[in-house]
Amino acid sequence: MKRLRVERWTNQLLTARSGAAGGISCSAPRIRCLAAAARKSLSTAAAESSAPVIDGLDNNPRFPPLEDIPPQAATLPSPLPERALQSAKLAALHARLSLSQKIPLQTLARTLVDASADSHPRFNNTNLAFVGQTLINYHVAEQFMIQYPRLPMEILYAAIKGIAGDTSLYHIAKSWGIESAAAPGGEVDPGFLQYSLENDGDAILFFGSVRTEAKYLDKYKFRRGVSSRVVFDNDFGDRVDEFAQNIEDDEGASGDYGSAATRKRAEKAHANHVRAVVGAIYAHCGRDAVKAFVKAHVLSRKLALDKLFYFSDPTRELATLCAREDFEKPIARLLSETGRLSRTPVFVVGIYSGKDKLGEASAPSLDHARRKAAMNALKAWYLYSPGENARVPSDMLAEDAEKWEPGYIDIGEIITRGGNFRH
Amino acid sequence: MAVKALKAVSVGRNGLGAFILQCKRIDLHYCDWAGSSKGMNGFIKSLLPKFAAAHPQIEFTVSPRPSKHPVAIGHYINGREKAICVRNMEPYEILKKLELLRDANGEKLKKLSKNVTSINESVRGVWSPYHGNGLQV
Repeated sequence: MKRLRVERWTNQLLTARSGAAGGISCSAPRIRCLAAAARKSLSTAAAESSAPVIDGLDNNPRFPPLEDIPPQAATLPSPLPERALQSAKLAALHARLSLSQKIPLQTLARTLVDASADSHPRFNNTNLAFVGQTLINYHVAEQFMIQYPRLPMEILYAAIKGIAGDTSLYHIAKSWGIESAAAPGGEVDPGFLQYSLENDGDAILFFGSVRTEAKYLDKYKFRRGVSSRVVFDNDFGDRVDEFAQNIEDDEGASGDYGSAATRKRAEKAHANHVRAVVGAIYAHCGRDAVKAFVKAHVLSRKLALDKLFYFSDPTRELATLCAREDFEKPIARLLSETGRLSRTPVFVVGIYSGKDKLGEASAPSLDHARRKAAMNALKAWYLYSPGENARVPSDMLAEDAEKWEPGYIDIGEIITRGGNFRH
Repeated sequence: MAVKALKAVSVGRNGLGAFILQCKRIDLHYCDWAGSSKGMNGFIKSLLPKFAAAHPQIEFTVSPRPSKHPVAIGHYINGREKAICVRNMEPYEILKKLELLRDANGEKLKKLSKNVTSINESVRGVWSPYHGNGLQV
């Protein structure tokens, strides 16, 4: 069996039991004392017996300690800012993201400390994340509003959430190679993301109000219409108290990969890190750098907008649209078929308004094909785009911006009446 | 009863927008005593500082591994790692191996039969037998 070489262990791993210290040669007990704050709460004897770290490394030049951890580090909730300069992980992350030299490593280290790890707002990333989320959500929202001016509000919410929501930002953080510490603490490398799996932290990151009837929304299934979502809810149309409510339900049964609650907390911490990085870029480099960063990392991701639509009665909605726009009444016509008695019949149906074909689809039954064709026609209407190069309002913030030409604004989504009329 | 929304999450495409190098860490292990580490020791002394300076986005760790062959281990963003034993290699051979680790994406080696893979829809569309004028036989 191999001999354990105690002298080569790093400092923080050498946590001696009381009484076990005599067994290890201890030349210079450098980190003998805990931080003053911790010591005050303990009796002298307890402080002596619980002195956790033994240091025998100073006199071996071949195996210097990996990192010189300040004496009080273990008692702090997050690493000291000055340790950021020694972290290779942090420097590598800075270079990997091609961040400007104006952004110091200390700020990048702060973006990695979640509010659930360190509740002090001067050391965690809450403030940076708040700035970051407003910027990300603004750029994503303006992009969708200009590029797809006819998107219904529900789809717009889903699209913004699909690009800038927690899950998407979690994937961005993962694609940056962010690793998380097993548990937060002052002694861990500042290059690790630090968050707690046990508590949520008290960071307020989203605008929004809690409804007076919030308690009854789930209990009595109160209606939460789009208009009230615009007024009360956050940028994704979600209730601001939704996370806290859901996380309570998800606690409990935890398997190898944690419970649903721990996964959500991990997702939220990673997302807040990405938001904080954007906030840090804004603080040090300004809005142009933020815009370029959001475009490169967030907006460049692919989200299939046409997969977001769920139509309950597409034919009726299309008829309403044609009535509203003074088009002729939509008529479904069979364009071709393989033969109804064939083994796998296929019908190709087009929807026409006068001589204009609005949509077309093929399906194994006539009704299915007609509904699919109506859906395609509606998607073609809703997904109208003025083109990739349409200017967004934030383009006007540039110094030499040309005169603003207003983007296309649609009169609104199609509102179908009740009743049972079919075309 | 207007249109309702389904949930979706965006998909990242590395290199479109921003490019993130997939190799995030390279561990280099050497032995002071063994002859198979001779080249590795020379590499660490002479070539590694320049290579590391040229690749700030990769974290390099150098640590002794006594009585073992020298090894270079690349750690990747997808969570996998790739280890190359560099025993008895010359420093410049080891440099080639490190470049290999740097350029890899960490995935298992696989044969790509298509020249282009994309998650975008085909620009031309998919051929349909139900459209067009058909062919008179």
